[in-house]
Amino acid sequence: MKRTFLNLKTFAAIIFTAGLMTACSNEDDTVVAPEPDTEEPDAVEDPRWITVAGAKMGEEPGDGNGGTLIYSVTSEDAKNPNVSIEPFENGFIAPSNRTARLQSSEDGNTIFNISYAGDTGGNYTKYTVEGGQTFTPAGTEVSIAPYVGTAPRWIKLFDGDQTGAAVYVNNENEFDENDAYTRTEATIGVVTLDLVNSSIKEFQEHSVALSAEEEAQGYYISRIDMPTLNAAGDKLYIGARLSKVDPATAESDSGFEILGSKTIILDYPSLLNPSVITSTVGHGNTNGYRSINSFEYNGSVYQANQNDPEGSHILKIDADNEYDDTYDFNLDDALGIEGAYILAWRPAANGKAVLAYRHDGSAEGVAGLQGFFALVDLNAKTAVKINDIPYDPDFYLFQYQGFVVEGTEIYLTQGAVGQNGNIYVVETETGAVTKGAELVNVAGSHFIGVF
Amino acid sequence: MKNFFFTALFFILITVQGQQNSGTISGTVQDNSGNSLPFASVLVEGLKLGVLTDDNGFYTINNIPKGKYNLVVSFVGYGKRSTPFEILESNSKVILDFTLQESTENLDEVTINGKSYETKLETKGFAVSAIKTEEASLRNIQTNELLNTTVGVKIRQNGGLGSDVTYSLNGLSGNSVRIFIDGIPISTYGNSFNLNSIPPSMIKNIEVYKGVVPGYLADDALGGAINIVLHNDAKTNFNASVSYGSFNTTQASLNGLYRFDKSGLTVKASLFHNYSDNDYKVSGRSVVVTGLGGVQTPITARRFNDAYKSTGGRAEIGYTDVKWADQFFIGITGSDDYKEVQHGAFMTITPYKDRFLESDALLGSINYQKKDLFTKGLDMNINGLYGKRNRAVNDTVSWAYSWNGERAIDFRGNEYQYTWRSQQEGGPTLAKIKRNVASIRSGVSYAINDHHSVSLNHVYSGIDREDSDALRSVLENTFVGTRELKKNIYSLTYELTAFDEKLKANLFGKHYQQKSTSVDPTIESDANGNDVVVDEVVDSNKSYDGYGFATSYEIVPNITLLASAEKAIRLPDETEIFGNDGDNVVANSSIDPESSENFNLGFRFGNFNIEKHAFTISTNVFTRNIKDRIGLPIETSLNVDDELILYVNQGSGTSKGFDAQLNYAYDNNFGLNFNISRFDLKIENQGIEIDVPNTPFFTMNGGLRYSFKNLIQKKSRLNAFYNVYFTDEFSFLTAQGSNTVGNEFFTVPQQISQDFGLSYAFPNNKFIVSFDIKNIFDEPVYDNLSVQKPGRAFYLKLNYAINKF
Repeated sequence: MKRTFLNLKTFAAIIFTAGLMTACSNEDDTVVAPEPDTEEPDAVEDPRWITVAGAKMGEEPGDGNGGTLIYSVTSEDAKNPNVSIEPFENGFIAPSNRTARLQSSEDGNTIFNISYAGDTGGNYTKYTVEGGQTFTPAGTEVSIAPYVGTAPRWIKLFDGDQTGAAVYVNNENEFDENDAYTRTEATIGVVTLDLVNSSIKEFQEHSVALSAEEEAQGYYISRIDMPTLNAAGDKLYIGARLSKVDPATAESDSGFEILGSKTIILDYPSLLNPSVITSTVGHGNTNGYRSINSFEYNGSVYQANQNDPEGSHILKIDADNEYDDTYDFNLDDALGIEGAYILAWRPAANGKAVLAYRHDGSAEGVAGLQGFFALVDLNAKTAVKINDIPYDPDFYLFQYQGFVVEGTEIYLTQGAVGQNGNIYVVETETGAVTKGAELVNVAGSHFIGVF
Repeated sequence: MKNFFFTALFFILITVQGQQNSGTISGTVQDNSGNSLPFASVLVEGLKLGVLTDDNGFYTINNIPKGKYNLVVSFVGYGKRSTPFEILESNSKVILDFTLQESTENLDEVTINGKSYETKLETKGFAVSAIKTEEASLRNIQTNELLNTTVGVKIRQNGGLGSDVTYSLNGLSGNSVRIFIDGIPISTYGNSFNLNSIPPSMIKNIEVYKGVVPGYLADDALGGAINIVLHNDAKTNFNASVSYGSFNTTQASLNGLYRFDKSGLTVKASLFHNYSDNDYKVSGRSVVVTGLGGVQTPITARRFNDAYKSTGGRAEIGYTDVKWADQFFIGITGSDDYKEVQHGAFMTITPYKDRFLESDALLGSINYQKKDLFTKGLDMNINGLYGKRNRAVNDTVSWAYSWNGERAIDFRGNEYQYTWRSQQEGGPTLAKIKRNVASIRSGVSYAINDHHSVSLNHVYSGIDREDSDALRSVLENTFVGTRELKKNIYSLTYELTAFDEKLKANLFGKHYQQKSTSVDPTIESDANGNDVVVDEVVDSNKSYDGYGFATSYEIVPNITLLASAEKAIRLPDETEIFGNDGDNVVANSSIDPESSENFNLGFRFGNFNIEKHAFTISTNVFTRNIKDRIGLPIETSLNVDDELILYVNQGSGTSKGFDAQLNYAYDNNFGLNFNISRFDLKIENQGIEIDVPNTPFFTMNGGLRYSFKNLIQKKSRLNAFYNVYFTDEFSFLTAQGSNTVGNEFFTVPQQISQDFGLSYAFPNNKFIVSFDIKNIFDEPVYDNLSVQKPGRAFYLKLNYAINKF
């Protein structure tokens, strides 16, 4: 009896030991992580870290739900087509149940992450980038979940890596004493996070109304995202998506008329005094998806919109915190296509930007519509498809998150679902495209940008 | 009544062995002191002929063919004796009397040489485990815990007593596994009458069919079926138990049956009550208290909103063992439960306060069983249930609470309310789901002769549901739809027994038919241009077929080869089609059924008895080839709002693995059992195959039992139990590269949990006291990522039983 019992324990012990050994050997490998051959930089300035992010396949190709993996190389290596990067094999898995929403410091030395969904959803963590798979946790743990839930939509503000902002909206239908539908209440919550000291800075909650006419028709703000600071740093712009209920039944409506694009404006840093501005140029949502959707340039904020019946626009909000309806930059017109949809974009300081988009002519790939990159000039309101980057029907940019701007150069990742790709560097002044390091992929997975 | 039992057995045996040239053996069985031993087992070895002795310890076995045999006599708590005898000619009568020595054999090991019910079931060809509840019912063991230690079965519970459970059979889980109570889908009974609430003492045994499900349990069970067989004997008895233990857990049960021997009128009733605060300690990365600025302090917290209460019972009246029925009962089943919800699918830093679920059910039942109806060999049974059940979700508290059970403070130090004004994101709710449920299973079987039999089975189950929410406006509630789902499943089975019962085969075909209707009120303009409310009705009527077989062959005595296969179908159920507000599952009416080709191949060695050692080993290897897997997506890109999820077809999949089980006993004093289960579960999507994450793929369970006799008092019995449960580490996340870092964040660590128990039976056998320690070493155990289950716990239980009035 005793012997059998011991055997059972021994058996378990063997398995346990085997598990431990596997774990140990992993660590051993870590020490000799294949570090691409790096030359001593000649430049006075240290090269910037370029952190590549990949979204591993969960259960379906391209879903990106199998973990967000990051791996860092120097900008020199990033530009070197002989360097090969394998984040899915050697990367660091960002702690997030679903695809992490990453941000990086302007110098690339810090990665900021807020975990999306799961038990730690809403947890803020920051890491010091040390090259390769080494991301050293810095600062204390703080969570924004109590304010904006466990699946927070957050963005780093452009204030010198000081602040992150996350938003939430809650909707409730309202009825009069005769049980007739009157409007849908939208309560927004906005929280700002001190990225340096890992603490909550401010939180405010507001009821945000649309015009009485819009509300009577059943329109309401159903999702908000992408907080952006104005040039003066005294207002926060928040992108919004409108939905509509059928006032007769209070059930959600579809196929309704799409209103002019809207943005919620709050005082900053107090997060008080909400108001809503409406564009007459663009229609559709301004809440983007996973990458920053609006940027300050030359005193104004330029904002992309999505689901615009005329194709995406880049809209302009001036220093007076109103839409500049004289600025009409339509991507369909600029690119000569139909149904342009801006998936992600990023301007350099010169007003020239790299923009990821799809359109009605995009091929249906393994994980949705094919994406393309274009070089955009905010001043000239022109856009040109970048042809020096190879495109594949499975090249999909819906989940694309990150570009790195270094001077007038913009770094991006290219790679179809399940296929190898490369880092590309676009010189925005000349439009010259440099093919950089190879990105080694695995089945069903894709790259979601550089940070 | 006992006479009946004897007679019934006798009668069955006569029908089985209706040969000429036979003799009779009879005699008495008594103990050392000359007391007669009723219910002692008397078996003719090799013939599988056997009876139990009557009240006076007397037995008769008729129709024994000419030849030499061994007669084996055994009785609980006594030794076993075997004597050779010979039937020389037709109508010869042999008389053999036995005196049995008292032994230290314990009550739970009724060793009937020949085949026990369990052995019979397990050698029919199916990959089946038969679980006896007798021992567990006397201890502080939940029905779910009992199932979890069964080979090939893994249950995953999201917390303590009463919390949500998913069942997995050989890797297939969720709705791929069908659970029945006496053949009636357990979903008919609802949440208040389930394996969390029904005490083992109400249960006679549990049959677990893996992959291949026999026709008499036909349902759209893709991965297998678990059938809870409630007590159905016609013997006057009464038992009651009450247990108290850690986390303020109280459980009480009462079962009684009284039969009027003259008329056969039988009344029976069962009652149960469960309560637990479930305030066990938890810690971990999300168990923190937040202070000024959002600074987090990790704490060890007691769960504070997790209480569970369930009460229920069943009362039946009818006739047993009368001319026209073996069993006829009409009855009523009522149950009610209340479960507080401490957190959602994960333990986050924002625990819930005062969110709770309530459900109740009131059902009428009818049950009829008759063997040899109209003619010999024609058996019939009908089991029906009809009633109403309700479920309610209550979440109206907007204030935030902290893991210390107190109001949480925000970064400024003030108590605060969530923007969503409820505990779970999504807004306050008082959602109610009302359901009318009906299910009836009927079966007819006919034994053409000893070798061939056919049976026809049908099960109907119907559910219609209506949703409402008191927090919603009249208008919103007006436009909430109603749902209806009706399922008819037919099966035809042919059974063959050949080559001296060495070969058994069972072939079956199943026909599945499901009709679902959703009625959604909407506004349309009538002929005059006026808006009117009309019902938008969506109907779907689908039917499918499936088939399979199970066969066993006894290669040499006690070594049996078992093979079974089935093309199984699973229709999407009510929740998958229409959603369930309480569980945040939304409707997906376009979902397809799952199908799977299931194969089992196994061996069974045993029972072998070598001197005082007895052992059985059984193994099974299996594959499941699944198409259109239905499941809750763990994470999908469509699933942007993570509080709302819907069931989807996730592509194809395979599960391959093996089970093995060893049972060993020495001198009936010492028992050891061990089982191991391992499988690979993969799914394929657009040509890419992945290992399904979040799957505990390797489990082992071991148990030891030792009986001490006459330890404190003479004729008393003390049983000591030790159990160990092992679940290997698994990851919540898809397999990663060989050199990645940060994997541990997603790991559900390897777990070893150990239980110890003592059970003391007083000399008169009416009182049994049990004491159990669970999770002796207070190991943190998890079924799901970071959702900690209870730590060390102590329970004491008193059982009282009488079998004679």
